[in-house]
Amino acid sequence: MVTAAERVSSHKWGMAVDVDRCTGCQACVMACQAENNIPLSTEDIYRQKRTFAWIRIERYWYGEFPNVKARFIPIMCQHCENAPCEPVCPVFATYHNTEGMNVQVYNRCVGTRYCGNGCPYNVRFFNYWEPTWPTSLRNQLNPDVTIRSRGIMEKCSFCVQRIRRVSRETTRDGRELQDGDIETACTEACPTNALVFGDYNDDKSRVSIMRNDDRKYTHLDALNTDPNVVYLAQVDATGGAAGGHE
Amino acid sequence: MDNGRPAWVKVLIPVLALGGVGVTAVLGFVMVFIMTAWFGNPLPVFGFDQSPEQPIAFPHTAHAGTDPLVDVDGNTKMDADGNPLTGIGLDCTFCHRTVTTTNAAGIPPVETCVTCHRVIGATDSEPLTILRTIGLGEDPGPIQWKRVHRLPDHVRFVHEPHIRFLTAADNTDVIANRDEAAILAGMNSDGSVIPAVACSTCHGDIKSQEQVSQVEPLKMGQCVDCHRKNNAPTDCTTCHF
Repeated sequence: MVTAAERVSSHKWGMAVDVDRCTGCQACVMACQAENNIPLSTEDIYRQKRTFAWIRIERYWYGEFPNVKARFIPIMCQHCENAPCEPVCPVFATYHNTEGMNVQVYNRCVGTRYCGNGCPYNVRFFNYWEPTWPTSLRNQLNPDVTIRSRGIMEKCSFCVQRIRRVSRETTRDGRELQDGDIETACTEACPTNALVFGDYNDDKSRVSIMRNDDRKYTHLDALNTDPNVVYLAQVDATGGAAGGHE
Repeated sequence: MDNGRPAWVKVLIPVLALGGVGVTAVLGFVMVFIMTAWFGNPLPVFGFDQSPEQPIAFPHTAHAGTDPLVDVDGNTKMDADGNPLTGIGLDCTFCHRTVTTTNAAGIPPVETCVTCHRVIGATDSEPLTILRTIGLGEDPGPIQWKRVHRLPDHVRFVHEPHIRFLTAADNTDVIANRDEAAILAGMNSDGSVIPAVACSTCHGDIKSQEQVSQVEPLKMGQCVDCHRKNNAPTDCTTCHF
């Protein structure tokens, strides 16, 4: 039997984003919305500046007209090792678990919104209203994910429901968890494989290889948040690297 | 004994005393109710009945049990030849088919009932007539079974790994509310057991219940206790996501 100590150190989940491959198609945004029961960001909510998107595409323009280039960076919860959101929570609703994930426990959250203020990446969202969906989308909701009620924080969970399901299936079938077995909704939807999910503890996994790439950078690393989401900078056509961070 | 108090005070004192006792009793009852609901099953008052009446009285005693059946007066039921009727001892997974593979144990389709009840059972029995009507495709709508074992919406419970763990060869001593005879009878040659004997850990002895009730509190403390004892993960995201 696997002891608790062996179990805790077995995985460290992370994501690598190759910004060079991202075309800004928003497929990950839609996949995430469908997978995680994210409320619709209607025009009304947009005007209140309370839109929801666990993953969003940030767009940057480079150059002078007519030589303008659009560049895209997908931003989701960075699952920081030194997360600014965690120590401010008075009820431990957000904490770092042993698998390297920044976890949001919905039933603990009391809605102080301290974590949202602490997050430098703006990836935490507060449910100001009870989420509603049009009748046509009721049967689309994912039964594996809690519908967050009014008054609590939510954010990217690294599709923990998929991690749990695949882990369960591999244990049932008595096989080892392979790199690529677990795909989050966004990595599965990404047509250019710009988003890659995997286990940093596995040296041969795609994310481990990408994390050791020369182009690797992390967002706002001056804040020393040590994110588990790493980015590979964009390579310019002229040969110079020109990502969101030089 | 006239110590100078007016008559109305003499009346007021016992009234106040009795009122105080009454208020204390009501508050005490409310406290007991809250404490029992917090630590276990709530008292079966105010509609917090853990054993709801089902639209069709489905006796698990007759289907899953093997003991002689008794009617409401306590007499043993007899068949036409005068022999005592016993339960037929169906395996739980005969009807709750998905319990070993997926999240939910599942309520069987009415067609499963009608497989047997097309012929078995009295022709004038009202619930069986309903079953046959639905099962044969004529529509009075689905049967609105009342849920007995219900977890809150923020808990993701999956039956499959629990059944897998409890039926494995080395883990049969974890099964709670156990029926030793059934466990011995359901044991495979390698020491593992059939899924049906593991259900009692959380659901109690269903096969002896005429009307199913929730016997275990099924609170988070019970889950975490068992997970700790058996080295199962206790991270929040094991169940909450």
